Amino acid sequence: MSTFYHQLQSFLDEGLAVAVATITSTKGSVPRSVGAKMIIHPYGRHVGTVGGGCGEADVIRTALDVLADGAPRIVTVELTDEITMESQGVCGGTMQVFIERFAVADAAGAARSSA
Amino acid sequence: MWLTAIAATGVWAGQLGRHLLIGSEAGEFPAGTLDAGALQPRLLDDAQEALRLRSHRETTYEAAGSLLTVFFEVQAPAPHLIVAGAGHIAAPLAAIARICDFEVTVLDDRPQYASQARFPTADRVIAGPFREELRKLRGGRPQFDANTFLVLVTRGHQHDIECLLEVLDDPVAYIGMIGSRRRISAVFNLLEREQRIDPARLDRVFAPIGLDIGAQTPAEIAVCIMSEIINTMRGGPARSLREQVREERIARRTRITTVRGE
Repeated sequence: MSTFYHQLQSFLDEGLAVAVATITSTKGSVPRSVGAKMIIHPYGRHVGTVGGGCGEADVIRTALDVLADGAPRIVTVELTDEITMESQGVCGGTMQVFIERFAVADAAGAARSSA
Repeated sequence: MWLTAIAATGVWAGQLGRHLLIGSEAGEFPAGTLDAGALQPRLLDDAQEALRLRSHRETTYEAAGSLLTVFFEVQAPAPHLIVAGAGHIAAPLAAIARICDFEVTVLDDRPQYASQARFPTADRVIAGPFREELRKLRGGRPQFDANTFLVLVTRGHQHDIECLLEVLDDPVAYIGMIGSRRRISAVFNLLEREQRIDPARLDRVFAPIGLDIGAQTPAEIAVCIMSEIINTMRGGPARSLREQVREERIARRTRITTVRGE
């Protein structure tokens, strides 16, 4: 349907486990809107973006935890720093990012548990 | 429509991270493992509404102290750009549109131009008569849909007109046509006088095509066209090159109507 899911499928076809991050809600000024998605690849071949910068770095770090234990998590990205020479995330808003693991084994497990 | 349980407590705790895939066709059976129990019918209703509004949403359900938060993700097909004319502007435009995640079709009646070699990233390159191929591209449906964007950049205004007449009343998202202000005015006058086209039907056409960014080279013009397409799709505030021509045409019509009405 869309290139994002084709890319996800091709990672799964390679037998990889990847994490998918989705912006599920936002408040104030944020770099991307609800529904923006990113694939976090275990070796750094990430696809897409949830806004870049430090916020995205937090998402990637948490995604590696999600990849490790398979438990989905929500990361709240705060981009509300005062504007100074040192501050980094200063869009003005916050956003919630849901992160989950995708792997062929997970899908097979889910299919079994629902059967 | 792709549903994900992004937070779940109490009786729903086991649903966290589960999914449901729902089609837009009535009667299509949902696939997946997300099971909200007694709330499932409400979940499906909310999914249909989000689908109708083409808008992602997050909804939290509550029952007897348990909470379930579901993210509804609308799976819209990629927007489809049809470029009629495979010349100098079409080549960079097709490449830029592909980067912007459009499905891209290029059409020209000259096979030496409409070739996959000239458009390596295009999803479809068609060599054939403009009008006939446009009809075929509708894929058996009576009209192009609101997911379709059309750019008319053929080698001559007679071909642009041919394409324009074919698609003018289709509910497409965008029709843009290349040409200087002088050429566009002449083409519109011709259509009104000789083809008896109601002038108001031409108001939707973005011509001269593109945003007013002072573009000069073919690649720059491709950027100016693509930015107008994005501006239209996202409801942005940027000013199109067509505005002046359009305002003049509407003002002239209003004047004529007023004079006649007196």
